Amino acid sequence: MSSDFTELQLDAMRELANIGSGNAATALASMLGREVELSVPRALALPLADAVDAVGPAEKTVASVVLPIVGDLEALVLLLFPTQDAAALCGLLGVEPGTEVGDSAIGEIGNILGTSYINALASMAGIAIEPRPPHVVTDMLGAIVASLLAGTAGESGVALVLDSELDVADAACSLSFLLLPTTGGIDELLTRLGVGGS
Amino acid sequence: MRIVRMGELAVSATPGDELTSIGLGSCIGVALVDRARGVAALAHVMLPDATADLDAPAGKYADRAIPALVAAAEELGARRVRLEAVLVGGAQMFDVGVGSALDIGARNAVAVRAALQSARIPVRAEQVGGRRGRTMRVHVDPLHVTVKEAGGREAELWNGSPTARRSAAEVTH
Repeated sequence: MSSDFTELQLDAMRELANIGSGNAATALASMLGREVELSVPRALALPLADAVDAVGPAEKTVASVVLPIVGDLEALVLLLFPTQDAAALCGLLGVEPGTEVGDSAIGEIGNILGTSYINALASMAGIAIEPRPPHVVTDMLGAIVASLLAGTAGESGVALVLDSELDVADAACSLSFLLLPTTGGIDELLTRLGVGGS
Repeated sequence: MRIVRMGELAVSATPGDELTSIGLGSCIGVALVDRARGVAALAHVMLPDATADLDAPAGKYADRAIPALVAAAEELGARRVRLEAVLVGGAQMFDVGVGSALDIGARNAVAVRAALQSARIPVRAEQVGGRRGRTMRVHVDPLHVTVKEAGGREAELWNGSPTARRSAAEVTH
């Protein structure tokens, strides 16, 4: 993998993140019966330690849902909920936060949102991909992101992070969406988007 | 306080200094200390072995991080024969198969121990494995290591200050 991406490539990936999280926002809005706002996504290609920092404060406790993607593109979809926002989301769904039911609701929301994200990606890039079952972990943000990057991008010096943020209207509830492609997955993705061969 | 991020390495002999690795998940914080000289070095090791990535920073891989830590500590006056190690991290945050086929935390622990053994450096204390992320702080003077898990309290893992040892010895007299 080349460590430098062109502006054109980063633009294409931002667009991908935009469409993916747009689709997820629609799913979340219909699930909650509320408006969901979507931030402008970022596409970051950074040295690994900087990538961890860019996601947020390393020591902050967050709830996370990880969906491994398999098929034409190997990647991880990672959803991050600040713990209070996860609790607010549980409240909107009428389940008790911090309980087994609450965790499983967060996992299920992650599953639905992650799958809508992946489906949008698949149809835009023309690839066949499918999600594996979700994993829910609540821990330090830095430990979560670093452990995942060690597996996806560990042996290259650079991580590609696509992230976007969803905000639920009239509720203190926002979540971030990250796509972490494996080192080989990035090249495949760029080729499929017609901006490969840097 | 100096933050030692993933793949990085730092060393200090300055009293009151603190070397910190925040959010160690599958990564391992490896501290080497020379208590007689008050020197501490910390590496934030990410993966076991560097063969596929020879240009990587020295702290990133276990096999290269240990020799690099020894060299950095010696440069500040530490003696190799006096070096002792404290390890934190190597957790398995996610089930096997998420992000990697194998448990990177456990492989890191094996590689770090092997590298320490071949450098003949004893491990004095460790908090390795499990499922939780941790933050590790190496306080240079008085020399001690503390660990904190997500949402938990800071706890002392190891105390290597010469004064602590001396007063313990005095009690036995």
